[in-house]
Amino acid sequence: MNTVNVSRRRFLQTSAITGGGLVVGFAMTGCSSTPAPLPVASTEGGWTPNAFLQVLPDNTIRFYTARSEMGQGVTTGLSTLVGEELDVNPLDMEIRLAGAHEDYVNPDFGMQGTGGSSSIHAHYLHLRQVGANTRALILEAASQDLGVPASSLSTDNGVVVHGGSRHPYADFIATAQTLNIEADAALKPASEFQYIGQETRRVDAIAKATGTAQFGIDVDVPGMHYAVVVRAPVARAKAESVDAENAKAMPGVTDVLEIGTGVAVVAESFWQAKQAAAKVDVQWESLPLASVSTETLRRDYSAALDAGDGVEGPVEGDIDAAMQSASTTHEAEYWAPLLSHSPMEPMNAVVRIEGDEADVWTGIQFPSAVPGLVSRVADIPAENVRFHQTYLGGGFGRRGTPSHLVEAAEIAKATGKPIQLVWTREDDVRHGPFRPASLMRIKAGVDEAGNLTAWDASRAGGDISPDTFRGLLPALYPWMGDSMVEGVANLSEWYFETFATDESSTEGLFEDYDQPNTRVTHMTVDHELPLTFWRAVGHSYSAFAKESMIDELAQAAGMDEVAFRLQNTQNSPRLNNVIRVAGERMANMEVPAGHHLGFAAHHSFRTDVAEIAEVSVENGKIRVHKVTCVLDCGQAVNPDIVRSQMEGGVIYGLTAALYGGLNLENGAIKESNFHDYPMLRMDESPEIEVVIIDSGTKPTGVGEPGLPPIAPAVANAVYKATGQRLRSLPLQIA
Amino acid sequence: MIQFTLNGQAVQTDVDPDTPLLWVVRDHFKLKGSKFGCGAGLCGACTMHVDGAALKTCVTPIAAMANKSITTIEGLGTPDALHPLQAAWHEHAVPQCGYCQSGQIMAAAALLDANPNPSSDEIDAAMAGNICRCGCYPRIKRAIQSVSENALAYDAMAQTEGRA
Repeated sequence: MNTVNVSRRRFLQTSAITGGGLVVGFAMTGCSSTPAPLPVASTEGGWTPNAFLQVLPDNTIRFYTARSEMGQGVTTGLSTLVGEELDVNPLDMEIRLAGAHEDYVNPDFGMQGTGGSSSIHAHYLHLRQVGANTRALILEAASQDLGVPASSLSTDNGVVVHGGSRHPYADFIATAQTLNIEADAALKPASEFQYIGQETRRVDAIAKATGTAQFGIDVDVPGMHYAVVVRAPVARAKAESVDAENAKAMPGVTDVLEIGTGVAVVAESFWQAKQAAAKVDVQWESLPLASVSTETLRRDYSAALDAGDGVEGPVEGDIDAAMQSASTTHEAEYWAPLLSHSPMEPMNAVVRIEGDEADVWTGIQFPSAVPGLVSRVADIPAENVRFHQTYLGGGFGRRGTPSHLVEAAEIAKATGKPIQLVWTREDDVRHGPFRPASLMRIKAGVDEAGNLTAWDASRAGGDISPDTFRGLLPALYPWMGDSMVEGVANLSEWYFETFATDESSTEGLFEDYDQPNTRVTHMTVDHELPLTFWRAVGHSYSAFAKESMIDELAQAAGMDEVAFRLQNTQNSPRLNNVIRVAGERMANMEVPAGHHLGFAAHHSFRTDVAEIAEVSVENGKIRVHKVTCVLDCGQAVNPDIVRSQMEGGVIYGLTAALYGGLNLENGAIKESNFHDYPMLRMDESPEIEVVIIDSGTKPTGVGEPGLPPIAPAVANAVYKATGQRLRSLPLQIA
Repeated sequence: MIQFTLNGQAVQTDVDPDTPLLWVVRDHFKLKGSKFGCGAGLCGACTMHVDGAALKTCVTPIAAMANKSITTIEGLGTPDALHPLQAAWHEHAVPQCGYCQSGQIMAAAALLDANPNPSSDEIDAAMAGNICRCGCYPRIKRAIQSVSENALAYDAMAQTEGRA
C-alpha cells in the first residue's frame, strides 16, 4: 500500500503554530517503527492512498472521518475539506466512521479525540492537503495512462477531464498506486472554493431521518446479552453485601456479578436485565460524600473563598492599588450548579472478547482510549482490540469518559458472552460524571472615563482535569499498574489543589476585557464527585459570572452596556467587532411592550460570539422569545452547520439557564429523569437568528462557543424586566 | 402469543406481555430505528404510530398491541423512497446527532396526517413531547411547515404511497 507522503514536518509546524504546541504523539503512518495496519475495509481492486480515502473500482469515493460525529456536523465538515481539494462533492462520497489508529490523531490534541470545538480548525489544512495530494497522484497517473501532459488535464467531481473526454478517477488507480508524491500539492486559493463556504446539506441527514444511522445502542451481534448495572447512590461506594437471589430468579437472567462500579445483571434482553436489576438488594459502604448536600457544596465553596488561600492563577499589574484608585468598584458572587449532560442516547457499549481478541462497538469522543482500556480488562494485547466507531447520540463531553467501556469489558470477560451494556436514563442523570458546581466572586474597578482597570476573580469548586485524567491514564500508559495509575491520578489532584490552577476551572473568567490589573485565584474544593467536561467546559459557568458582572459594572458606571464593552475590548479586535455588530443590531430592534433585551459576549474555543436575548417575565416565569447570535468563527466551512451549532448551543445553554440543576441529598443526586431534570422543549424554544461575520481567517470552533453567552444574556434581560439581578443558575425569579 | 401488524406485515411474538413495544421492536424484530431515551414516556425518542396515532412505546406493554397496526420509522420511508418529512429533514439540515429524529419525524407525521396545515402553536403542542438535546427545534418546525405549506403535494404523495 502506498502512502501519501504528506510531510510530517509541515504538519508539526502547522500544529505548533495553531494548536498551542499540543503535538505530542502526532504521527503519520511511516513515522513510527512498526506502523499498525489501517483499520479500513478491504477493497477488491480498489486503492487506499492514505488512512482517509479509498477509491473503489466503481468510482465510489470512500471517506473515513476521523473525528467523532456527535451532531456537530463534523462528517460533513471534514468531507468538505477533503472533497474541496480532491474535487469530489462531499454529498457524493461514501462516509465511513474511522476506527482507532495513529493516523487519526487530532493534531490539536496529540491523541485521537474529538472535543474543544477543535476538529475543523485542526484539520483545515491537514485534510485539504490529503485531498490535494491524492488528486495530484490521480492526475499524474492519468497523464501517464492517457499519454498526455498533466497540464492538459482537469478534474470535475471524481472525473478526470481531458478535452471532451471524461474518465472516472477509478480508471487510474492501478497506476496511481505505483506512484509517490514528492512534494505537497498546492492548495486552492479561497476564491476557487466550490464546497467550502457553500450552503451544502449534511452528509448524514438522510441516514438520520430514516432511522438507518447506526448508533452504539443499535449494534447487535450474534449471541449478544444485555447488561444493566446497579450503581451506588453515592459515587464510588463499593458494595458491602449483595443479595441477588430474587434477580437471578427473574426470566431471562443469566448472570449477576460484581464489577468495579456496582452489580451487573445480565439477561437475554435489555428489558429483562432492567427489570431484574430492580430486584438486586445491595448494601453500600458509607463514604464521606454521604454527608454532602447541595447546601454543603455552596457553604464549603463560600468558606474557601472567604479564607482566600487558593492557588494563584494569572496575575497582572497591582490589583490592590488599582482597586483603591478606581472611581467605581463593584463586587458580586455567582453560582452555577452541578449538571448532567444527558445526551439523548444513554451511554452504552458492545464488547465481545473471543480468545485473545476483542471487538468494541460504541460511539465515543476518545477512541485512543479504547484499545488500552479493553486490553487491560481482557488481559489481551492492545493491538488485538478492534474498535468500531458508531454515530454518537449526543456527546457534549459526556462521551469523552470511557468508564462504560470498562464496565462492558469486565462483564464480557467474566461471563464469556458478547455484552451490550446500557445505562438507563436514571443512571445517566444520577451518576455523572457531572459538570462541576461553581461559586465565583468577582470584584472589579472602573475609572472615571469608564475604563475597566481592575479585575479580581476567584472560583471555588471541583476540578475537571484530574478526574478525566484518572479515566484515561490506564489507556494512555498501559505499562502502569493499577496502583500506579491511582497514585499518579492522586498526584495530579494534589497538584491542582496546591500548585497550579486547572485551566478548565478558571477559563473564561478574566481574559476578554482590557483591564491592566488582574488577579485570578482558584480554590479547589473536592467532595469526591465524579466530574468531567460539559459543553463549553469552564466557559459554561465563567461566562455567566463575567458577563453578568460586566453588565452590573456598566450600570454602576452609568454607561450603556454595549458602549462599556466596546470601550473595554480594544485589545481583542475580533471580539470588539462582534460586539459592535451585535450592538448595532440591538439598537435597531423593535421590541414588543413587556419584552426586554439582554446582551452578552464571550470568547471561547478561538471564536467570538455576542448574543442578544429578548425576554419577558410573566407571572414569575422567564420566557425567551428570540435570540440573535452574532459570531466570527473565521472561514465558515459550512455556514448552515455553523448556524445549527449556534442554535444548538443556545438551546442547550437555555436548558441549563432556565432549568438545569442537579441536587445532592445525603451524597446522592435527587433528580433521576426528564420529569425532574427537565429539558427545553419546542414550545419553549425561541426563534434564533444567527449572523456570521465572514472574516475569512482560518476556521475556529463552533460546537461550543454559542453556549456561554446565553445565560448572562437572559439574566441581563431579566434585570431590565424586573430589577432583579439573578446571580444563581438556574435563573429563578425571587 | 400476541399478533399485530408491523410496517404492513403480520407478525407475532411470545415475549412477556409486559415487555414494552419499543423493546419488542428493537430486540426481537431487530428494527433499531426507534430509540430508547428515557424509559418513562418523557422524551419521545421511541415514538411509533399505533393505528395511525403517535405513541410513546417505551411505556406501552406489548399485550396492549394485539391486533393493532404499528408503523415504525422504517415503515414510513427509506433512503431510496423518502417520506416528504424525511426529504424535508434533509433539505432543512434538521438532524444534528440524529438520535431523537426518528421519534420527532413519527410525531410530525402523525400530526400532519391528522392536521395537514397546523399552525405554529399546533406544531408546538404536537411536538412538545419530543425532546431534542441538540436543539434542532427551530429546524424541525421549519421542516414541518415546509411540508404542511405544501399540503396538496403532501396529500398526493401520501395517496400514491397508500398512506392517506
